[in-house]
Amino acid sequence: MFDTEFFLQQCSIGLTNGALIALVALGYTMVYGIIGLINFAHGDLIMLGSCLALSLVTAVGLAEAGPSATALGILFLVVVCGLFCGLVNVAVDRLVYKPLRKAPKLAPLVSAIGVSFIFMNIGLFWIGPADRSFPELVPATNLLPVESLRFTAKDLLVVAIVMPLMVLLSGLVKFTRIGKAMRAVSQDPTAAALVGIDVDRVIATTFFLGGALGGAASVIYGLSINTIGFQMGFQNGLYAFTAAVLGGIGNIPGAVVGGLVIGLVRALGSGYFGERWTGAIVFAILIVILVFRPEGLLGRRTREKV
Amino acid sequence: MTPILEVQELEAGYGPIRAIDGVSISVEEGEVVAIIGANGAGKTTLLTAISGVVRPRGGTIRFAGSPITRMRPHAVTRLGIAHAPEGRRIFQRLTVRENLQLGAFARTDRAGIRRDIDEICGLFPVLGQRMGQLGGTLSGGEQQMLALARALLSRPRLLLLDEPSLGLAPLVVSRIFEVIAGLPAKGIAVVLVEQNARAALRLASRGYVLETGRVSLSGPAADLANDPRVRDAYLGE
Repeated sequence: MFDTEFFLQQCSIGLTNGALIALVALGYTMVYGIIGLINFAHGDLIMLGSCLALSLVTAVGLAEAGPSATALGILFLVVVCGLFCGLVNVAVDRLVYKPLRKAPKLAPLVSAIGVSFIFMNIGLFWIGPADRSFPELVPATNLLPVESLRFTAKDLLVVAIVMPLMVLLSGLVKFTRIGKAMRAVSQDPTAAALVGIDVDRVIATTFFLGGALGGAASVIYGLSINTIGFQMGFQNGLYAFTAAVLGGIGNIPGAVVGGLVIGLVRALGSGYFGERWTGAIVFAILIVILVFRPEGLLGRRTREKV
Repeated sequence: MTPILEVQELEAGYGPIRAIDGVSISVEEGEVVAIIGANGAGKTTLLTAISGVVRPRGGTIRFAGSPITRMRPHAVTRLGIAHAPEGRRIFQRLTVRENLQLGAFARTDRAGIRRDIDEICGLFPVLGQRMGQLGGTLSGGEQQMLALARALLSRPRLLLLDEPSLGLAPLVVSRIFEVIAGLPAKGIAVVLVEQNARAALRLASRGYVLETGRVSLSGPAADLANDPRVRDAYLGE
């Protein structure tokens, strides 16, 4: 018999995790959209954000704080880690990718892999080789009145941070001057420069925004998974990157849809087939979709016009 | 009077190729200057070097008396030079309105921008009808009108036009040339690069002939149009 409650439970888990994946996927897709680079270091940047979050929680003693101080503390973590990851991302662009802007695409790509390793080593130095537990600032208490279906305070936290950020980002891209400049640069950097847009500044802003979203994700990750380690960036990055490709890389709503789909597939896959199959299922679906829609779910079919 | 644009001994190229090799031109305030020449003579490179898209290797460029050599393109645009580049380069996936608004990116006078967009729609009524359409859905002629309109929205003192008539129907070409002819009266100087040498020389007050990266001839447009060498090579007579 079909167990509706079990199905709904997996969907709820999937959408919550998917929202987090989407937040990370945005960092991949925005940078790709603007300079055509797959920023392989993005996952590891988020690992560094989690390290900073852990250090801050320990330094401030947030684990012993009362509920209202905890809420404020979480907001503080999101802001500080967001700024940190945003600025580190901008610095990496300046130092590593910018000098390679006119080089063949492979050069910045390989450099990104290099940056990924550097970040991992910084993480190793920062928190050590073993996985570290991240204090349980938000309890896993069920907020729903029924026993059989769980939506916890942690889940609420994820949604409460991710949703406003996504709304903010899409408003920024759609309606603001810098958003319009970002869209112009992603379509034609030369034409954008010729209408008076400072292309380098737009690229830096994009790296900052993508990094800042990753910084927010790094805090959420610590608070909801409660375990961080210097190697966490690789797998998380891979799922988020897959989400970005699935949705259509370079496409902002696509990254959100891709993230949610991957979250759902992972949750349903592990619910019905077992945890060990989730990776295989996710990537099998990615391959199938890319065979039939290489541009991704929401991507445009590229048609060069002479 | 200082010329609005003064290019001296400009050199630029790509890798081992010297596309322009010591080109000097000058443009007076509110004047149309035609640059004619065969494919590969360096006409497009000259414009891209002036607007900063290509970095010159030598020589100087002065705009209204101050040096702009090797300035980045957005800074050049903000000084008052608009460049409608080769191939139009309109934003295909933005609407006509957004393309026009981006043309005025460096400006902050919202009311003025709105007025200018209305005025442009008077010049090219077809753009007014297509405001909400994506740039990529326009016909070639409409895209060229949009490229010209976008360039004008930065309120330039100097407009660089690269082949505005390329591949367009005669009716559209004459409309576009009509608009260009009206620019000097608005205080806008124009550097017009054209394959269509006859039309360009009719529109311009002076002209330069580029040959393999150098100026081979220059002078008043009427003289060039009557010069046997020009007639022979570029006017097909």
